[in-house]
Amino acid sequence: MSRRNPSGLSGIDLIAFSFFLSLVGVGWLMVYTVSYQEGIDIGDFLSTLAGKQTIWIGISAFAFGFIVLIDSSFWQTLAFPIYIGSLLLLAGVLVLGVKISGATSWYRFGSFTFQPSEIAKFATCLALASYLSSYNTNLKELKSQAVAFVLFLVPIGLVLLQPDAGSALVFLSFLIALYREGMSVNFYIVSIYSTTLLIMGLVANPLYIGVGLLLLSVIIMSMNLDKRLYWLMGAMVTAVAVLYMIRETEDTYLLEILGAGAGVFLIYAIVLLNRRKGRVVQLLILAMVVGMSFAYASNYVFNNILKPHQQNRINAWLRPELCDRASLYNIIQSKMAIGSGGWDGKGFLKGTMTKLNYVPEQSTDFIFCTVGEEQGFVGSFAIIVLFLLFLIRLTIIAERQRSNFARIYAYGVAGIIFVHFLINIGMTMGLMPVIGIPLPFISKGGSSLLGFTIMIAVLLKLDSARNRA
Amino acid sequence: MSNTYRNRQFTIQTLFVLSALLLIYKALEVQVLDDSFRAKADATTIGKYVEYPSRGLIYDRNGKLLVYNDLTYDLMATYNQINPDMDTSKFCALLDISEDYFEKALDKNWRSLRYSKSVPFIFLSKIPASSFNRFQESLYEFPGFTPIMRNSRGYPHENAAHVLGYIREVNQREVKNEDKDYALGDYIGASGLEKAYEDSLKGQKGLRLILKDNMGREVDEVDGENAIPPTSGKDLKATIDLDLQAYAESLMQNKIGSIVAIEPKTGEILTMLSTPSYNPNQLKISKERGKAYIELDTNPNKPFLDRSIMAQYPPGSLFKPFVALIAMQEGLLNPNRTIRCQGAYYLGGERLTGCHAHPTCFDVATGIQHSCNAYFVTIFRDIIDQTASPIEGLNKFNTYLDRFGMNKRLGLDFPNEKAGNYPSSEYYNDWFNRQQEGQKWKSLWIRSLAIGQGELLTTNLQLANMAAILANRGYYKTPHLVSGTIERDGTIQKFDKFQKTIDVGIDAIHFPPIIDGMERVVTAGTARGAYTPSISICGKTGTAENNQRDGKDHSIFFAFAPKDDPQIAIAVYIENGGWGGTYAAPIASLVIEKYINGNVQPGRKYLEDRMKKANLLIEKP
Repeated sequence: MSRRNPSGLSGIDLIAFSFFLSLVGVGWLMVYTVSYQEGIDIGDFLSTLAGKQTIWIGISAFAFGFIVLIDSSFWQTLAFPIYIGSLLLLAGVLVLGVKISGATSWYRFGSFTFQPSEIAKFATCLALASYLSSYNTNLKELKSQAVAFVLFLVPIGLVLLQPDAGSALVFLSFLIALYREGMSVNFYIVSIYSTTLLIMGLVANPLYIGVGLLLLSVIIMSMNLDKRLYWLMGAMVTAVAVLYMIRETEDTYLLEILGAGAGVFLIYAIVLLNRRKGRVVQLLILAMVVGMSFAYASNYVFNNILKPHQQNRINAWLRPELCDRASLYNIIQSKMAIGSGGWDGKGFLKGTMTKLNYVPEQSTDFIFCTVGEEQGFVGSFAIIVLFLLFLIRLTIIAERQRSNFARIYAYGVAGIIFVHFLINIGMTMGLMPVIGIPLPFISKGGSSLLGFTIMIAVLLKLDSARNRA
Repeated sequence: MSNTYRNRQFTIQTLFVLSALLLIYKALEVQVLDDSFRAKADATTIGKYVEYPSRGLIYDRNGKLLVYNDLTYDLMATYNQINPDMDTSKFCALLDISEDYFEKALDKNWRSLRYSKSVPFIFLSKIPASSFNRFQESLYEFPGFTPIMRNSRGYPHENAAHVLGYIREVNQREVKNEDKDYALGDYIGASGLEKAYEDSLKGQKGLRLILKDNMGREVDEVDGENAIPPTSGKDLKATIDLDLQAYAESLMQNKIGSIVAIEPKTGEILTMLSTPSYNPNQLKISKERGKAYIELDTNPNKPFLDRSIMAQYPPGSLFKPFVALIAMQEGLLNPNRTIRCQGAYYLGGERLTGCHAHPTCFDVATGIQHSCNAYFVTIFRDIIDQTASPIEGLNKFNTYLDRFGMNKRLGLDFPNEKAGNYPSSEYYNDWFNRQQEGQKWKSLWIRSLAIGQGELLTTNLQLANMAAILANRGYYKTPHLVSGTIERDGTIQKFDKFQKTIDVGIDAIHFPPIIDGMERVVTAGTARGAYTPSISICGKTGTAENNQRDGKDHSIFFAFAPKDDPQIAIAVYIENGGWGGTYAAPIASLVIEKYINGNVQPGRKYLEDRMKKANLLIEKP
């Protein structure tokens, strides 16, 4: 089958493209409403936030057009040079960049600033796709796994030096692409398990976590016994009893309870070992030891190493009831602004909280507050659904690629956008910790818009060329 | 390799969908399910300020200002907005308060539900405009303090204190009244017109909604459905004539008593005063007010007692014209009837009711001119005894008194009006029955009613109204102090209830002889001191016996003038003033002259001076 190499917009996936345009359009409107002041002189427009955003949209459109014109094979060929270049930019910013709100993440050109980590996400995505699609790579092998991890751990390290924890976190989104490409499920189970215990360790007494793990283990073990119904019932009764004791004792007998739980565990373990199910017992013991050490470690770090303002940030997310108003200020104001939108919002340009500086970073990281306040739940719902449809569309595009490079790249892009979307919107409503990352296409900010536009443009270009022989 | 893990796309898509659902659920909770965020947002961004309406002003009948609004300020404090490092000593110096007061005023019981650190409370009240202006220049240095403007009252003159009344802070009961929207610290009319016309004067409070930014600075007005502009109270057009009132008050200085003057055709009260009085500015809202109030309240001459409507006196001889009118209307008296008098009312050779030396009364006019007791006791007994039963006679007599406005409140637009009294036949049945079981009473026994003594009691307002009845030859309109509200375009919205003519049931034909007699009272009778050649005044003196205090008689006079086109009806009552002709009659005639001619003839200045100088107050021991 011979198809001419499509150039221009023909062959571009129109569904994804229109989602993309919608998001950029909504973003411009939201930035406009934040910067909107009654009676502003039109001559000043380009110096307003919305004016600058308009310029950036122009630049991004130009970039999009350029990418559509050049050959799609360009990206796979030049993936590594681009990657290296972006690492150099990341390293360079530590020396040449300007410091804005505590992080040296920006290059400044006149009145425009540029954040290299936005390009680094794209470059890492290319590099990872290029590496994983090469014939020598096999994710079952430790070497391939190691290289894949190094590819995104290096930029993480450089970004953390700025320091910009939010952007660093985004690089972990490549775990989604790795999963699709065959990374072991066990790795994800262990990761999720460890992360959960790390987070729990931050805020809960590790002894409680220990009791919880024991109870869980006891229940799992009893399910591996014959007549599991009776055993399971026994395990449940034990669990309820221990929980009741915890509630009653207020820490005093916590060690005794832990001991009692361990005793029950041992009895079950012995019975289970007699049934020759040693592997279950081993796994559970390993999980408990690792889990407890994680919990203890993170608890220790939290209480003894973290500085108070860092503790406050974590508390504001996980234990807001412990925080004073100052630590909760951002999240309270943000939730109030979103909540004040109610069902259908105050109307375009009518948001008051987002205009009167109640919400911090209202045009960038907290742009979703403007959506919530002015468009209400209807608007929030629409934006979330728009993102979801866009993400799903990206996975569909990914799956129809013949080239592994294109598919992996597509999953990489989808993962990046997903993490931004979940953390940013979740953060404005108190669901996620306050991590300063923008909402793709919507938040004000040139490098972010340009970075995401390039990512999408390359993806759509690759997709339009997928049937090339 | 790629197809091996193709199914993993569904796990990834599921992850996307679940995450989106989580976000949607959270948005639903924050925006729709839990409205506390919304309420908090409103509380944070919108400041609510009560806007006080200006209280209605009161003008006199000629458009002179009687009561104006004097601004005072309440300083509100919002505890959690106060800067702890503020310059307290400067603050206290500006407001003229001690640092002690400052500490105490801010030290509220924050646990109690009455106070909240974020809700403004009254820190200092009644700051006069003069010292507030000084403070206002530095207000910006003291965040957390906001002033509220209050309308207190001021008076450009010193008169009509009783009529105008005063305002006070509302009490707990009034605050709790759900029908009215009073809040603690609001002012309410406490007496006089301020009280009677509270609903018109107070206006409607407004609510101003102010959008505040994150620093608490005011950004914009919110004009939502909840923002209500205040409605000013209505201005009142009072019926009194300030100049006349002031003149009458000057004549009454150092006397205990009252003057009520009415325009007969309309029932509008031109002057209503009670002495001793006080300067209305003494009860202005200020720090000194409490002390002034106690002083007035404990004064033995009772300046708070409004003697024009609250004091009830026997009408004395002023009652005689009405006895004659009733007799004539009943057909029991020919106006030309002669009744001889030998210095007293004699029956069976027994001297019963004393009289004074005067020429023989050949007609009723002369009887009135000389105020002959014998004449009126005689015709009074004719009325009571016209049928076999004195009970029937008295009942008929009282029906007339009722129409004259006795023994009932006239319906003055004013608080605390007393009704006066006439004795009913039941009252005498009981009273004489108690003296002796089964005893029937006779007209002779109640003859003192004929000369306005006995159980009769009237207020001075009622006497003035009865003078108006005579002036109108048989009708009156409900006396009132406010003719209407002044609308925005300057027109006056009159009250309908005061337009009704009330007929007293005496034919006009019976009035001329009585009025002739009253004219002669002034020209050649008991009130020659009231005579002035320029105006034909018709009056009647009275001297009410008094058993209280040092027992000196009350000096009473009522009159109307001019005779043929009456412009003013007046009643003057001076406690312990002696003969009606001594003080009451001259004072009434001066007031009449002042009202009708605008000034008093130079030839009568000596009389004016004499009246002003007379001091009839109780000597303080």
